[in-house]
Amino acid sequence: MRELFRKRRMWRSRPDLKKRYDVVIIGGGSHGLATAYYLRQLGITDVAVLEKGYIGSGAAGRNTTILRSNYKTPEGARFYDASVKLYERLGKEMEFNLLFSQCGHLTLAHTDRALFVMANRAEVNRLQGIDSRLIGPDEVKELAPTMYVGEDTTYPIMGALYHPPGGIIRHDAVVWGLARGADAGGAEIHPYTEVTGLQRSGDRITAVQTTRGTIQAGTVLNCTAGWSSLICDMADVPLPITTHILQACVTEPVKPFLDVVIVSSQMHVYLSQSDRGEFVMGSEIEPWTTYRTSGTLNFLQDLTRHTLELFPQLEQARILRSWAGLCDLSPDYSPILGQTEVENFHVSAGWGTYGFKAAPIVGKTLAELVASGRTPDLIAPFTLERFYEDNLVSELAAAAVSH
Amino acid sequence: MSRLAQQPGERIDRSQPVSFTFDGKPAAGFAGDTIVSALYAGGRRVFSRSFKYHRPRGELCGCGQCANSLFQIEGAPGIRGCSEPIREGLRVVHQNAWPSLDFDVMRATDRVGGPFTPVGFYYKTFIRPRRLWPVYEKVLRSAAGLGRLPRRQDEREWETEYRRRRCDVLVIGGGAAGLAAATRAAELGADVVLCDEDAVLGGLLGIEGGHERVRELEGRARDAGVEILSGAPALGFFDGLVPVWQGSTLHQVRADQHVVATGAIQQPLVFADNDLPGVMLSGGARRLAAAYAVKPGERAVVATVDDRGLDDALALSAVGLDVVVADLRPDAGGGELAGRIRAAGITLLTGHTVVRAQGRDRVERAVVAKVDARGRALGDGSTHDCDLIAVSGGSAGALSLLLQAGGRAIYRPEIAGFAVTELPAGLHAAGAAAGHDRAEAVEVSGAIAGAEAAAALGRSPNGVADARERLAQLPAAAPVATPPAQASDGGRRGKAFVDLDEDVTVKDIKRATLEGYDSLELSKRYTTVTMGPSQGRFSQLPAARVLAAETGLDLGTVGLTTARPPWSTVPMGVLAGRPLEAAKRSAVHRRHEELGATVRWAGDWRRAYDYGDPVGESVAVQAAAGIIDVSTLGKLLVRGPDAGELLDRLYPNRMSNLAPDRIRYGVTTSEAGRITDDGTVCRIDDETFYVTTTSAGVAGVEQSFTWWLETWGLNAHITDLTQGVAAMNLAGPQARGVLTGLTDLDCSAEAFKYLDARHAEIAGVPCMLLRIGFVGELGYEIHCPSVNAEHVWDAIVRAGSKVGLRPFGLEPQRVLRLQKLHVIVGQDTDSEMTPYGAGMDWIVKLDKQQDFIGRWALEHTAAHEPSVRLVGFTTPGGELPTEGAVVLGTDGAPEGQVTSARRSPRLGQVIGLATVPAALAGDGAQIWISDAGRRIAATVTTKPFYDPEGEVLRS
Ligand SMILES: Cc1cc2nc3c(=O)[nH]c(=O)nc-3n(C[C@H](O)[C@H](O)[C@H](O)COP(=O)(O)OP(=O)(O)OC[C@H]3O[C@@H](n4cnc5c(N)ncnc54)[C@H](O)[C@@H]3O)c2cc1C
Repeated sequence: MRELFRKRRMWRSRPDLKKRYDVVIIGGGSHGLATAYYLRQLGITDVAVLEKGYIGSGAAGRNTTILRSNYKTPEGARFYDASVKLYERLGKEMEFNLLFSQCGHLTLAHTDRALFVMANRAEVNRLQGIDSRLIGPDEVKELAPTMYVGEDTTYPIMGALYHPPGGIIRHDAVVWGLARGADAGGAEIHPYTEVTGLQRSGDRITAVQTTRGTIQAGTVLNCTAGWSSLICDMADVPLPITTHILQACVTEPVKPFLDVVIVSSQMHVYLSQSDRGEFVMGSEIEPWTTYRTSGTLNFLQDLTRHTLELFPQLEQARILRSWAGLCDLSPDYSPILGQTEVENFHVSAGWGTYGFKAAPIVGKTLAELVASGRTPDLIAPFTLERFYEDNLVSELAAAAVSH
Repeated sequence: MSRLAQQPGERIDRSQPVSFTFDGKPAAGFAGDTIVSALYAGGRRVFSRSFKYHRPRGELCGCGQCANSLFQIEGAPGIRGCSEPIREGLRVVHQNAWPSLDFDVMRATDRVGGPFTPVGFYYKTFIRPRRLWPVYEKVLRSAAGLGRLPRRQDEREWETEYRRRRCDVLVIGGGAAGLAAATRAAELGADVVLCDEDAVLGGLLGIEGGHERVRELEGRARDAGVEILSGAPALGFFDGLVPVWQGSTLHQVRADQHVVATGAIQQPLVFADNDLPGVMLSGGARRLAAAYAVKPGERAVVATVDDRGLDDALALSAVGLDVVVADLRPDAGGGELAGRIRAAGITLLTGHTVVRAQGRDRVERAVVAKVDARGRALGDGSTHDCDLIAVSGGSAGALSLLLQAGGRAIYRPEIAGFAVTELPAGLHAAGAAAGHDRAEAVEVSGAIAGAEAAAALGRSPNGVADARERLAQLPAAAPVATPPAQASDGGRRGKAFVDLDEDVTVKDIKRATLEGYDSLELSKRYTTVTMGPSQGRFSQLPAARVLAAETGLDLGTVGLTTARPPWSTVPMGVLAGRPLEAAKRSAVHRRHEELGATVRWAGDWRRAYDYGDPVGESVAVQAAAGIIDVSTLGKLLVRGPDAGELLDRLYPNRMSNLAPDRIRYGVTTSEAGRITDDGTVCRIDDETFYVTTTSAGVAGVEQSFTWWLETWGLNAHITDLTQGVAAMNLAGPQARGVLTGLTDLDCSAEAFKYLDARHAEIAGVPCMLLRIGFVGELGYEIHCPSVNAEHVWDAIVRAGSKVGLRPFGLEPQRVLRLQKLHVIVGQDTDSEMTPYGAGMDWIVKLDKQQDFIGRWALEHTAAHEPSVRLVGFTTPGGELPTEGAVVLGTDGAPEGQVTSARRSPRLGQVIGLATVPAALAGDGAQIWISDAGRRIAATVTTKPFYDPEGEVLRS
């Protein structure tokens, strides 16, 4: 209880950059900070996290925080499941309540085609030991009694993929908790420090240029998600990534109304109700590429119209705020993770609209890669090489709208 | 009910009493009253309970901007009580208090919880044991939230509409500046729309005694033809598109020029217990009196840092309040207003401010003291009995829309706030939003903005330079004192709020800063300051001041948080417009309904799945004949000298060598060589091809074809005929006989061969006939103009009835095609399937000269064994696996899946298609299917189950 009232800095402010670090992590989002956090557990503490804004200013602080592991491919399901399991322990491990609410996740099916895709996911998941199953309209009604589950609508609910351990978390808490943990281990967190160039000589990155001077690094990690292809360009490593925006919005808070996460891919909407009582809602990624994070009216119109098909009573709920964040989309909707052709330069990219749930496992596996020089099995399917070898891991059917 | 004598320009109509209820008890007011003005007149002072501590809250702004008087009306939460008009019979209830607004048990969180719930409380507690968190969470959840939504509602009840409006100039804000701008632009010939969130135009001028002038300005604007939308907030700026919400209508206004005259928002002051009911913005108190003839109190202490507060004090005094003024400025601005205050005999304490409010659940006293630069009281100060503390903490320009539109905010110490610079072209700011605060300057700046907007449209206004000159000559506004981050008497009791919506105190922000949340964005996220329903209107600047004081940064560096739409919170129903989903129906859809078809969605289409007897229907097709409506197929006409070349580059197989009147099957792939669609290509003549696509795929195919056509610059064009042309498939052993009776065409096997196309009249209608057979029988796909489709359908059904022809739906079609192992793209293929994986090696012509879409990837794929292959299977045990069930690899891991499975009535066995590991893709291989726990053995086959050599098809 006393701890509650101690005013302790979460992370130190660091006046200057050192000349050299064993590991330089570019990007102070959830992945960059998680990597610093897990590096500490492996005893690697000479680490700098360089962030051009404040920590969590990118997608980490803008996402709608859905955590789940009911992916379509065995590779994906295994990987995300490991992450959710880490998340389950993370709050306790960091002594920071991440407000992780495993309230259950429902992906609605409005067509028999959707049911078919879900049946496959449920079975792949089951074989991996992931709690995920197909349920009928009656069970959907029980889980979401305020939702309209009738047959006389444009998009009747024919069933759903139910994933009980899925849920939502407090994104900022994840960022702050990881930052505190990394800082406590000695890693330096440098906000407002933008990387402007990478010097490459042959197979190695020799220096990192920043708005606060040039530094040397043993290993450089690119954890910049939406900006990852720009950073890779600096190293002359082409990434098959396009950057788009994804939009989201919240309503004014109301009393408890919805206890599960609802996703409808066909209607391009998903929503949950936060512990504060706000509905957090989002849609699918915008098809055009851009780095400009301003939203569109179309998004608000389509999203509200579709949400009201499921919850007509939300017609009186008021939209309070909307925003957009960057998403780095890979061709197969799976991440690009690990080594590149440059020996001491690794990436975490291709997170599209679903990377927040992966933060702990990304941090853990990248840290292992740095420490051992070997790619952990869990992320072997996600190397950049797969695009040269044509070994894609397609999550299109499971990741397009349900982040 | 007590009202002041008639006020000049009051909004109420005393001849029209209105009765409504509040929390079930009768309440009354007049037409023109808001909920708050009516209840206030009736003596109510507490309007809500705060979000976290459930402290009683009174009115703050009086104009629909604050979150202090949010009510619930029927199913609608969050109604702004200080702007929502009362109507006869309205049932208003409070939010977030139990059992009643005046006695709320949750107030305990304030009394005992206050010190025990420091900022960030949740993050630091309930961490272990982890399994108890869901229990705590439930408790937290039920304490959160303000209003309530109905648990059940079957459909939308509120009818809303979109309206699109294109105009030359959109003026946002209908105060003096906006009205002047709109009038000027309209008089110069521009088509002007003006919107204002208030139900009554005039902005501040109307409240501050200028209602006559407002009437004049409004009259001129109307005469000049300005379209005026009142009670209509502009919600945001979306690349020039501005949604304006008015009642049940969402106007989507697109203008060439925008004038933003959104005024400024009076700011509160921060001192101990500055949230007690009775602490109000001075402008809000004045508005109650001026617009609604409600006396806001008897004795007021007015605390101000600017002239506006002084002006408001005079107005309050004029309606009979006993007023004491505490002006933070050492000379009370040194202007004419200070003189008038003194002349009116009002006590004026200069260099003073309120350091504490006192009272039990409402203001009873104010402690006023001289303070140092950091806001600390010098000496004990004086205590004043009062029931109103009216504050004016300076003004914050309503800049959100300007910032959303690309302007940049900079801090200007002389106005103790932010202003906007670097406005993009086409955007003009006027009035208080542009930093003007004297009535005359406000109006002149509006006229200039209007003229500039018109000039940008090519009109030639004159006198603009003169007006600018005049504006520059006008006396500058009196200086504003920068309020301290917190005024304090040094006492520890009481809470000093920075954000009333979220119950965030100065202490919270300070504490957060110490913990490392030392930028406004981090502080916002940690303390939730500015995140409530009033969107930071009253808390952003005060929070920035605390942060600046704590970090030693200047306010310009602390900055503002990003301006995000919507500027006014807006019900989802308004944004959603009409509940409208486009459904496509084929030209013969009526017939399906008459036949009692089971109609279901197939993409955007409504389609007949069956006519009640899928088994019987499929048997009929194989025994006699059947007809199925396939109008949903995409149909593209590709025409031009380069049409053949274009198709050769788009399809992996060759199309240019197709002879006229011949048909070829084709798949399209992505650049990665993945199957994207399939269909037939029929050559009509040298330069014309008729291409069909899948029902769901046509839009994507058309888009991609057109894109490549443009990129390659070939001479051809593409026309989508999907909706204009209907199609039906007549199939079965009797199909030829049925067709022959309806046409002059020679339909013999020799004259009209498999994969031939013919033009002919069927039942008098010119049709195109394609001899293809998706269902595996002798068949004709008949394409005709949609307008004649019912006639052709009827003729075929009538002619066929003699031989046992039956209409069949999608379900029997699926069984029939499965017997032939015909693939449905999107069902049997997923986003990763290549033609090789789908067993269509023959379709990829790598020896083709042209580069074609996907060539590079397919060359690579051809050299490697695909990881899975699509094959047919049967289950010897007769189990029917679920579509989607998993096919296991040799090591028992999931490798492939069942993509289609049916019980075939004709074959009397279960048949299907599945992706299986390449090693298991040979005829006769054994595979295991894992289906929701069941293990099903299956046998692979690569040959069609029915008519494997295609003799029937060609017959
Ligand atoms: C609206 C929205 C909703 C989403 N919903 C979900 C969801 O429900 N579930 C889910 O799992 N995922 C979701 N995502 C995706 C998820 O947020 C991202 O995939 C994930 O956060 C990316 O990892 P990150 O946190 O490390 O990225 P970020 O937080 O974006 O971190 C990258 C950081 O790099 C910094 N940076 C960039 N360039 C430089 C430079 N040159 N120098 C220094 N620093 C630099 C950026 O400022 C940024 O802070 C959503 C995304 C959005 C936008």
